[in-house]
Amino acid sequence: MLHIRSSYQLGQISNMSQQVQATARKGGGFALIMKGLPLAPFSAIFLFFFCWPIFQIFRNSLSEGKGHYGLSAYRLMFTKPYMHAFSVSLQLSFFSALSAGIIGAIVAFYVYRASSGLRSGIAMLSGVLANSGGVPLAFMFIAAFGAQGGIVTMLKKLGFDIYAHGFTLYSLTGLILVYSFFQIPLMLLVFTPALQGLRNEWHEASNSLGAGNFQFIRWVLIPVLFPAFLASTLLLFASAFSAFATARALTGGSVGLVPLVIGSLIDGNITTNQANLGDALAVGMVVVSAVVMGFYGFSLKWARR
Amino acid sequence: MKTRALNYLRYAVLALGLMFFILPVASAIEFSLRSYGNKGHNLSNYQWIFQQDDFFTNLGISLKLAIVAALLTLITVVPAVTFLHLEGARYKRVFEFLAILPLVVPVVSLAIGAQKAMPTFIQNSQYELAFFYVVIAIPYTFQSLNVGLSSIPLKTLVEASRSLGASFTRTVLSVIIPAIRGSINSALFLAITLSFGEFTLTSLLHWETFPVWITRASQGNVLGSIALSMFSLIGAWVLLIGVQTAQNWKGIKLKKSAPEISKEEEVLV
Repeated sequence: MLHIRSSYQLGQISNMSQQVQATARKGGGFALIMKGLPLAPFSAIFLFFFCWPIFQIFRNSLSEGKGHYGLSAYRLMFTKPYMHAFSVSLQLSFFSALSAGIIGAIVAFYVYRASSGLRSGIAMLSGVLANSGGVPLAFMFIAAFGAQGGIVTMLKKLGFDIYAHGFTLYSLTGLILVYSFFQIPLMLLVFTPALQGLRNEWHEASNSLGAGNFQFIRWVLIPVLFPAFLASTLLLFASAFSAFATARALTGGSVGLVPLVIGSLIDGNITTNQANLGDALAVGMVVVSAVVMGFYGFSLKWARR
Repeated sequence: MKTRALNYLRYAVLALGLMFFILPVASAIEFSLRSYGNKGHNLSNYQWIFQQDDFFTNLGISLKLAIVAALLTLITVVPAVTFLHLEGARYKRVFEFLAILPLVVPVVSLAIGAQKAMPTFIQNSQYELAFFYVVIAIPYTFQSLNVGLSSIPLKTLVEASRSLGASFTRTVLSVIIPAIRGSINSALFLAITLSFGEFTLTSLLHWETFPVWITRASQGNVLGSIALSMFSLIGAWVLLIGVQTAQNWKGIKLKKSAPEISKEEEVLV
């Protein structure tokens, strides 16, 4: 009702707004509103509990004690063990994002035109599952895919012993399997809206031009959906890269991911003569994550074009 | 014929997908019903949960912190987003960018900064966690409110109320708050669920809440920890589905013409 306004009504509204501004100048609560007071509590919390700690890790990472600044923490960070941690973290993020991205995209493609009841049911389930990370998820997978787990014993009875074939849950492969439990639903959530922009006519048009199904997928579907796919996958990458709780509970540190190394440094389980190594690693994580989110922003813009 | 084949394929893919999620859950439930010494299946591991004194203590702590975080969200994020929609259009882009930043900075990094940057009197109080939970939840709460508020003509409503002579307090209480109540509810719900499940920052700052306690409790009793995990996972799922269903049901009742987008999509897209 309020969306359709005649130009007459619009004029009236702008008159009203002048009146409001006039009252505001006279003072009262609205004067405060105009001055941006409602932004103050938000800004205070944001500055003190977010910007200040982040500033501190940047500062500490460059500090060499006694007021001296230098790059020695970063020099240590660029040595083999820590670069290895970054490499393992990036591998985990890459492979989990790629596998969950592809599977999620295929599932999304098959369900997006299902009946609206089914679709909203799937959307709801995805929303719930996408948020279930953390320690309980790790334990659930230990119960299912651990050496004594239900699925493993079931497969063993069927004559297929996955642990004898080199599978173990407490490895990179295991982590990818666990992460896919919340990453596939996340992919469904973020990728499905892109599918809603597809038009049936495109398929008809490409058919009438003599293209087969394969050609349609190769030359129409994939180019059209690629930016949205990339954006969604980058989001999965970022979520896997910074995930901590599941990995910690599952591997207890046997897979040396960067967040786990930082955690061990905070807890004092690893000691180095370089007190600010943790800060340097934290800055390293922020940089990687910022680059990924930057690309995410770009591909989102590309997808919206 | 072709569409029917596609339909079958669709249900096959869907069934396969559901299996991937149902099998681990079912298998873990079976595991949690096992008993020590192979005495068959029973509920002993679930009984064990409720015999732990720390269970209720930590559930209480987590609930308390989640409620404080929700209240803090109510007095910080809600006024800020409302203001941006009413009068602060020129700051909107800046604040939208700021609100994404906590998603860019991994929580582990925030934790190491928090440990060194916070003054001692704050580090000594458990309530510091609630403030950090608010910050971690900002990308979700801010965006959810932002999308919610974009769908109502808030500015027009406020101008109408002012031109009819309503006072500032009266406008806030009987125009703004009723108009944005739905958006406030979903933002607060997001703040509560995120706070309740937060593990990384909490454990690295050496506080004990419900998720941290689960890890500690698991060290002595494997079957018990599986039962505890299933209890908290399924509890959370039931709660989330319940709230979403209630929201959808209310939406149908009010016959809102808003497009069907779930909260998570709004947040992430």
